[in-house]
Amino acid sequence: MATELRVVGTPARKVDAAKLVTGYGTFTDDFFLPGMLHAKILTSPHAHARITRIDTSRAADHPGVHAAISHHDVARIPYTSAGQSWPEPSPYDQYILDSKVRFVGDYVAVVAAETPEAAEDALGLIDVEYEVLPPVLDMHDSMRPGAPVIHDEPESHGMYDAERNVAAHIEVEVGAVADGVTEADTVVSEDYFVQYQQHTCLEPHVTIAWLDEDGRLVLRTSTQIPYHCRRMVAFALDIPVRDVHVIKPRVGGGFGNKQEVVTEPLAAVLAIKTRRPVKLEYTRRDEFTIARMRHPQHLTMTVGARRDGSITATHMKVLTNTGPYGTHALTVTGNTGSKPLPLYRSPNIRFEADIVYTNLPISGAFRGYGAPQGFFALESAIDEMALALGSDPLEFRRANHIRKGDTDPVSAALAEGSAKKPRVMRSNGLPECLERGSEAIGWTAKRRGGMPLRPNEGPLVRGLGMCCLMQGSGVAGDELAAASIKMNEDASFTLMLGSADIGTGSDTTLAQIAAEVLGVPLEKILVRSGDTDHVTFDYGAYASSTAYITGQSVLKAAEDARRQIVSVAGQMLQEDAEALLVADERVSSSSGKTVTLQEIVMECLYGEEKTLISGRGTHATKESPPPFVAMFVEVEVDIEMGTIRPIHLVTAIDIGKALNPAICEGQVEGAVTQSLGYALTEEIVLSPEGRVLNPTFMDYKILCAADMPKLTTILVEDPEPTGPFGAKSVAEVAINGPAPAIANAVHDAVGIRLRHLPMTPDKVLEALGRL
Amino acid sequence: MKPAPFTYYDPHTLDEALGLLAVHGDAAKILAGGQSLVPLLNMRLAAPDVIVDINRLPDLDFVTTDNGLRVGALARQAMVERDAAVRDVAPLVTEAIAWVGHRQIRNRGTLVGSLAHADPAAEMPLVFLALDGELHLRRTSGSRRVSAGDFFVHIMTTALDPEEIATEASLPPVPPGSGSAFLEVARRHGDFAVAAIAVVVTIEAGRIRRARVALGGVGPTPLRATRAEERLVDEEPTNELFVEAALAASHDCEPVTDIHGTAEYRRELVRTMVYRGLGRAVVRARTGAAG
Ligand SMILES: Cc1cc2nc3c(=O)[nH]c(=O)nc-3n(C[C@H](O)[C@H](O)[C@H](O)COP(=O)(O)OP(=O)(O)OC[C@H]3O[C@@H](n4cnc5c(N)ncnc54)[C@H](O)[C@@H]3O)c2cc1C
Repeated sequence: MATELRVVGTPARKVDAAKLVTGYGTFTDDFFLPGMLHAKILTSPHAHARITRIDTSRAADHPGVHAAISHHDVARIPYTSAGQSWPEPSPYDQYILDSKVRFVGDYVAVVAAETPEAAEDALGLIDVEYEVLPPVLDMHDSMRPGAPVIHDEPESHGMYDAERNVAAHIEVEVGAVADGVTEADTVVSEDYFVQYQQHTCLEPHVTIAWLDEDGRLVLRTSTQIPYHCRRMVAFALDIPVRDVHVIKPRVGGGFGNKQEVVTEPLAAVLAIKTRRPVKLEYTRRDEFTIARMRHPQHLTMTVGARRDGSITATHMKVLTNTGPYGTHALTVTGNTGSKPLPLYRSPNIRFEADIVYTNLPISGAFRGYGAPQGFFALESAIDEMALALGSDPLEFRRANHIRKGDTDPVSAALAEGSAKKPRVMRSNGLPECLERGSEAIGWTAKRRGGMPLRPNEGPLVRGLGMCCLMQGSGVAGDELAAASIKMNEDASFTLMLGSADIGTGSDTTLAQIAAEVLGVPLEKILVRSGDTDHVTFDYGAYASSTAYITGQSVLKAAEDARRQIVSVAGQMLQEDAEALLVADERVSSSSGKTVTLQEIVMECLYGEEKTLISGRGTHATKESPPPFVAMFVEVEVDIEMGTIRPIHLVTAIDIGKALNPAICEGQVEGAVTQSLGYALTEEIVLSPEGRVLNPTFMDYKILCAADMPKLTTILVEDPEPTGPFGAKSVAEVAINGPAPAIANAVHDAVGIRLRHLPMTPDKVLEALGRL
Repeated sequence: MKPAPFTYYDPHTLDEALGLLAVHGDAAKILAGGQSLVPLLNMRLAAPDVIVDINRLPDLDFVTTDNGLRVGALARQAMVERDAAVRDVAPLVTEAIAWVGHRQIRNRGTLVGSLAHADPAAEMPLVFLALDGELHLRRTSGSRRVSAGDFFVHIMTTALDPEEIATEASLPPVPPGSGSAFLEVARRHGDFAVAAIAVVVTIEAGRIRRARVALGGVGPTPLRATRAEERLVDEEPTNELFVEAALAASHDCEPVTDIHGTAEYRRELVRTMVYRGLGRAVVRARTGAAG
């Protein structure tokens, strides 16, 4: 391989940029089929109720309506909407339609009609009688003796303890935390509370389902997981996998919300029932009420340390609200502990969690996947510990963070007795991140120190805060990706990928890898991805896996194709294939003989010895190297109004290798924007009955451009030996940061600790004793 | 969602428009910039039978500044915002209007529409109350003027009758020696205010001769903090006075808790903002600086 890179590492333009900026229809909804029907869902007004009677006949008779169905019309097959590898570690506690509703917004019935208006009107003609049940509207009540049981049906399975509303339970210990606490000179132990957050994808969930000319079910759908979706829909409908064809067009944002099969099963049932194409699209209100959210948690974080600054105990205890269904229940909260806890060397680490059902909105996968919650607690507590020991939070972190060569002890404990393997840190650019990030923010010059305000200070006070972060690159031991490449008649290549570009730019990054290996410019790579009939298997876009896992499969496929090209070239040039070099769209020998790829492909297709150039690569690994971040933020607190204004946010991120630096920066900026909202403004407000009160962009506050601080992104490259061109992941890790960094900065500015997200002005004034 | 069906008229003369309103009464809604009405229609929170689009009416897109400020019904908020003469005669308007939504909203939304819509947290109603503004209302049978104090009746409810059009809003000239200030806290840039305040003080011979303290987002309409105003009048502007007046203002309102802020927080904001606003307004009154 040529050592000097030509395509990889450049900020190449996205392969799908032109069609996006010209508005060419590429999304699920930019598609119309003759005779297409529109589906609308009737949802539950009650947080917890049994449907004692439901009659859809009046709705079915409404003009334009082709189907109106309730739980009477679908088979009772428990499944999970969590798009994960089989067998999904999430409980099978959902039904396409059920006789019980478990939150305000739960599916009751669905109508397909010739117009959306007719479908909407028909919903009003469905007669439903409910037996209203007492609900669980606070996760702290879920496990109380006598609490209503949310999953009392016998068919559901996979819950840890359904009787006590516990969807999943985790306990893992390294060493003995109790001893570690005893050995400590200083112990910090605090409670942290984090809220529901919505993904707010620009494109809501949408599926168009129809039966093709062979009677197979086609799902054109906005998904992160085409292959899991195919398997799961087949399962939920009890039809063969081969009869389902999933097409993922361009997706307008996923962030985990589309790592769920949410609209597909209903749309499929309606298409099969009506024999017509059916479109089911969530409204924005639906996204805010019945889609998925980040899991709310109550975390108790305890850190013990000796006077010399060494950590003796790290203990995280979590109570998670999964809502009425346990989708991603175990794994998201698993990450809450397993991603943050290895960050600082500690001989005694304990992580325990209960993930409980409530009759509140459904929690699910969300970029960061449990880690933002955990890092908020850990990085707040580490900051407190540093100050309690009288040391600088930057120096304390420098002294204690995990080193290159270390084994992640939490993964080692979790791996015991399973086929998994502990993670070893083969790359770790955190020291460089700390160095460059602290310099960019002006750490030593600008720290205020959390001292009491002097009389002449205020009302605007500035402070600096920081945190460190890590994540993974794919799910260790639970990833598989494949790519194939064929050479076309004009010496271009078609790269076929099972992976799902959901706006992340992965189609571009992966094409860059292929172009690099094949010695062609990026335009010569045509990407075809996300169609289960035409491309190879892939687990999908989640867990920051695509560049690292699918990237390796592309690398292998491209190398496979290159070997074949070189072998043909060797015959054409009468040279030893081993010694040939591929670059600039030609194959050359050291002696100066050369043949173009165009000549080679013509020779292959039409010459004497006919052959097809077609490369194949499969990749699976037990590795999941963490990207690292050192994040720094400067904030300004108005001590009279309680407002927190982030001024400058620096993300120094070690991603091994920036395959496309522009895309990497985009991922970081997107992640911090989303989590600045999590830190400061975003929350789902619920009525006492469990109804969402702010299901609009007017009332659910994501930050807009004018609210943003200055962002500085520093890409650090400590090459990861197991990654393609040294790369590891970039997509998620930064989302874990802003909340703890801001909380620490607020402390630096005005000496208060905010442990309850979002950090709204009234909480600031309360903590300052002014309210 | 899309609006419920309605009949759409776009009259080309004021008489024609008033005639339509006389016929349809409260079945009709006037469409100006559409920045409040269209969202209400799309969310089906409003479902009028008739829409009377006034955008084709002639001669209503004026802003004049020769004797106070006059703003026609079709003058966009952006037009007012960019008008340098407005900054001279009514700097409070210029200061506050930048807080109305986002630039895109202000390019279409009208100032008069903001007053007619009467959102309790909106900026323009607050400012017109503080500056003793007036609304000029027309109907087929005549016209009348209503002071801002009488115009805002309740949440999104005004003194406008269904058959009336507000053709203009006006402000009297500000007396010499005046200074003003506008402050607001919103959760995000461009949001409606959690709370906002507008103050105007006129200083003569070292004493406050006239004071207006208006509060927004802390009641069903914008409010005058009369006890605060009384506390200020005839006093020398001192820091202690501002502290007391601000405290009084915070008790001149009955804020409620909603999803954007608690009642206690809003009251505290009023106190802080009135205090800061008075300081700024007095400096501006003394220096003759804009505002
Ligand atoms: C995203 C967003 C953010 C916004 N943020 C703010 C904000 O922060 N602060 C703020 O104040 N506003 C805000 N607005 C509202 C905006 O300022 C509106 O433009 C304004 O409230 C109404 O003006 P309009 O010309 O658009 O009126 P329209 O929407 O056309 O009409 C509004 C109402 O007033 C009536 N009306 C309009 N003109 C007349 C007239 N001449 N005579 C009689 N009745 C009339 C209409 O019948 C209707 O009932 C926001 C709007 C949006 C969409």
